[in-house]
Amino acid sequence: MAKAFKYGLKGITGYLEPAERDLLRSLINDVISMLQPEERAGQDPLAALIGLDMDVAEPSDRAVKRLLPNVMKDDGAASLEFRQLTERSLRETKIGALRAAALDLDKDEIVLSPDGARHWSMALNDVRLVLAERLDIQDEEDAEHVHLMQDWSQAEDVESYLALVYNFATWLQESLVQAMLQSLDTRR
Amino acid sequence: MTISVAPGPDTQEGTRTGTAESTDSLTAPDIPWNLVIWNDPVNLMSYVSYVFQSYFGYSESKANKLMMEVHKKGRSIVSSGSKEQVERHAVAMHGFGLWATVEKASGGPGGNSGKSGGPGQGRGKRG
Repeated sequence: MAKAFKYGLKGITGYLEPAERDLLRSLINDVISMLQPEERAGQDPLAALIGLDMDVAEPSDRAVKRLLPNVMKDDGAASLEFRQLTERSLRETKIGALRAAALDLDKDEIVLSPDGARHWSMALNDVRLVLAERLDIQDEEDAEHVHLMQDWSQAEDVESYLALVYNFATWLQESLVQAMLQSLDTRR
Repeated sequence: MTISVAPGPDTQEGTRTGTAESTDSLTAPDIPWNLVIWNDPVNLMSYVSYVFQSYFGYSESKANKLMMEVHKKGRSIVSSGSKEQVERHAVAMHGFGLWATVEKASGGPGGNSGKSGGPGQGRGKRG
């Protein structure tokens, strides 16, 4: 079984079983593949280099849209303009955190620097946001319903399996964030 | 937001000693743009507080107060400034996975209505 992350002399440490690491790695890779910007023919290479993307559109996939939300609530045009300037670099920031976390999965014991912990918390959060969209968690009631699934022997369909995976990622992120809050306290 | 299956210490508001409330510019009258964080059922309360503390440098008590406002009222203005400043913060919040929008400080889109459905994600409760 995984051990909760804790803050100690070595920094933030955690332990995951090989099967848990494989699971997390595949979840992380799924989110990375959702975030990879499409390479289009005829794209202006200079614009791409400085992060501009004039062909960008509001994501049609709900999960991608949750990862890359509109910056203005009721102004689609202004939000789209903002996307052209910022979305590519936001995708890269997220992919960077996800890749950093995936690299740490090569060892049983995970030892995290403050930056490493931040990358892990962002990666786990994005994984959970995507799983939550797949599970159709739209309000606190849905979240509580999913939360009740804790027994792996009950996993009999895709949805209950996803719920267990979501709860595992939630547990792991909560333990990580508690350790990060402790380290913030210590550094103050 | 959600509270979870927390291993380790209980971090209910008030159980840990926070640093003194810092003075801030939230109520300055001449600031034109706000950064709004919206509630969602996925982000952990602890994580939202961590982001407010580590990114904005807010004290634990201020971060928790804003986090609880998001949780209970559905949204909270967590920072104000020029349009460019709040847009930069919004991108950082999106990087953390928080649901952030920017709006004009008064009479802007969304206003101060407490119970809105979120920043135009166009999703209704289904089924």
